Amino acid sequence: MIEIRDVSRIYQRGADEIHALEHVTLHIARGRFVALMGPSGSGKSTLLNLLAGLDRPSSGSVEVAGQRLNDLSEDELARFRARHVGFVFQFFNLIPVLDARANVELPLLLTKLTKADRLSRAETALRVVGLGERSHHKPSELSGGEQQRVAIARAIVSDPEIVVADEPTGDLDAKNATEILGLLRDLCRDFDKTVVMVTHDPRGESFVDEIHHLDKGVLRDSVAGGGGGA
Amino acid sequence: MKFLPFIWRQLARNKIRTLLTAGAIALAVALVCLLLTMPAGMDAMLKRLASNTRVVVVNKAGITYQLPYSYLQKIRAMPGVVGAASWTWYGGAFEIEKGVTFPNFAVEPDAIGSVWADYKIDPEQLESFRRHRNGALVGRATLTANHWKIGDTVSLRGTAWPVDLSFEIVGEVPNDRSPVFWLQREYLDQALRAAGRPGLDSLGIVWVRVDDAARVEPLLREIDETFRNSEAQTSSETEQSYFKNFFSMLQGFVTVILIVTGLVALCIVFIAANTASMSVRERFGEIAVLKAVGWSRRLIFGTLLAEAVLLSTLGGATGAAVSFGLTQALRGAAGWNPALGPLGGFVVSQAVAVQGLFLALFVGMISGVVPAFGAARRGVAETLREVF
Repeated sequence: MIEIRDVSRIYQRGADEIHALEHVTLHIARGRFVALMGPSGSGKSTLLNLLAGLDRPSSGSVEVAGQRLNDLSEDELARFRARHVGFVFQFFNLIPVLDARANVELPLLLTKLTKADRLSRAETALRVVGLGERSHHKPSELSGGEQQRVAIARAIVSDPEIVVADEPTGDLDAKNATEILGLLRDLCRDFDKTVVMVTHDPRGESFVDEIHHLDKGVLRDSVAGGGGGA
Repeated sequence: MKFLPFIWRQLARNKIRTLLTAGAIALAVALVCLLLTMPAGMDAMLKRLASNTRVVVVNKAGITYQLPYSYLQKIRAMPGVVGAASWTWYGGAFEIEKGVTFPNFAVEPDAIGSVWADYKIDPEQLESFRRHRNGALVGRATLTANHWKIGDTVSLRGTAWPVDLSFEIVGEVPNDRSPVFWLQREYLDQALRAAGRPGLDSLGIVWVRVDDAARVEPLLREIDETFRNSEAQTSSETEQSYFKNFFSMLQGFVTVILIVTGLVALCIVFIAANTASMSVRERFGEIAVLKAVGWSRRLIFGTLLAEAVLLSTLGGATGAAVSFGLTQALRGAAGWNPALGPLGGFVVSQAVAVQGLFLALFVGMISGVVPAFGAARRGVAETLREVF
């Protein structure tokens, strides 16, 4: 599903070169729930951006869903993301002027679906995350946990193979964090999604199938999580 | 079209800011529309003020030079002439120490009715003006300003001619804006002779009424041709042309107004651009999320630009509608309130309203293009790193 081969990412900041990732090789199979862990600045978000098609490597190869991302243009990458990847962020990043259903509908505006189909799919996605009754609520009328559920509904509404989540529990209390981790795990098990999550949250270890530790841009080790074998 | 609700809701994000910006654009477009009516409005005013069958004849050397009085009879005898009257500047001042002046002319009372038939002066008052050698016909503006009424006696001190005269006001020129004060030429002539001066043998302006607009041009040529080789050559033109030349002196003023209008429009571009920039800047995070879920740069650019254009167009449409409504109301009011006079001629036409809308469209595009382009080309990973 995801093949990262000898990938390095170097940023130019003024005269300095920042080596965010160095020669990382990683394989993630379809339907796995994977955590990328490590201290701040270890390169885990950079790796997530690369495999989600948000960024390009300086060297090495990134292949996702059978497509090599290195050579894609900005527009091609945008189309790739729309078709194959769903995103969940730490701070939910919902659009405040839109209600839950309209937020979930956003990725579907890129498709040729009719309005009725778009709304129907958005309602279904909200039901999957347990918010079927709150589709007309604005983000400001929802709790943090509910907002993150809406974000997850937005991530899965276009039925992507991969869901990437950057610190999805970072802004939630313990109860909500546990619920969100459970929901992401269910996406893998029940809907055959590949979920890649960046997290500092130790609770996540018991939900995921595998954990990859990074430090200073280098992949240190890969271990099995509590949710399955490595 | 499926993105329209999204764009509309983004506009509603900060209602006060949106309303203030739209209001500023509306005001500017209304101002521009009103100013664009000026040339057409002046033409309408000209048509209202001046007749195209009334001709004015002056000395070719300039309006301050006199013409021989004999010219009047020669002009009256020309074909197509319904009537002709002369104006001779009396220069009488009322309460000279207070500086109260108004244009007063010595005229032939018999010709008033035919030359200025469109003034609709009361026939009885005209007759009274003919019968009373010291009679005066006074414009309503002068009557009102000096609190005079028909039957009052008024004394004027001569400034152009060395005779002071008393007049009985026998009638009014029924036009609220008319300041004119007409006296009998014969009265002035006799007063001068009584004062030991030579009588009037010259005139300042000849006004001629022509029976048919089609005969005006040949008559103008005939008058000037008749006096071409005489001691005082003439310059003849229609009353409209005469006033038009007068109004042309205002052209510089109109140009200044149009320049100011352009600057106002430019200010509005800056205001709208600032609003669009602020709106985009505070949404960098959201825009990055939209890009992450697959919205292309082109789509981001298009929706942001459409947002600026929609706001500007709505403001512009409001401004154009307000200016249209205002001038229509003025036109309606001018029908029953003569004090509004020529303001009724300043009407925002459909063409001007469309120009206002295009201006708003232009403002929207110019103001939106830079922030939209900046937001669209910003790298998604870079923005996500900076914002989150």
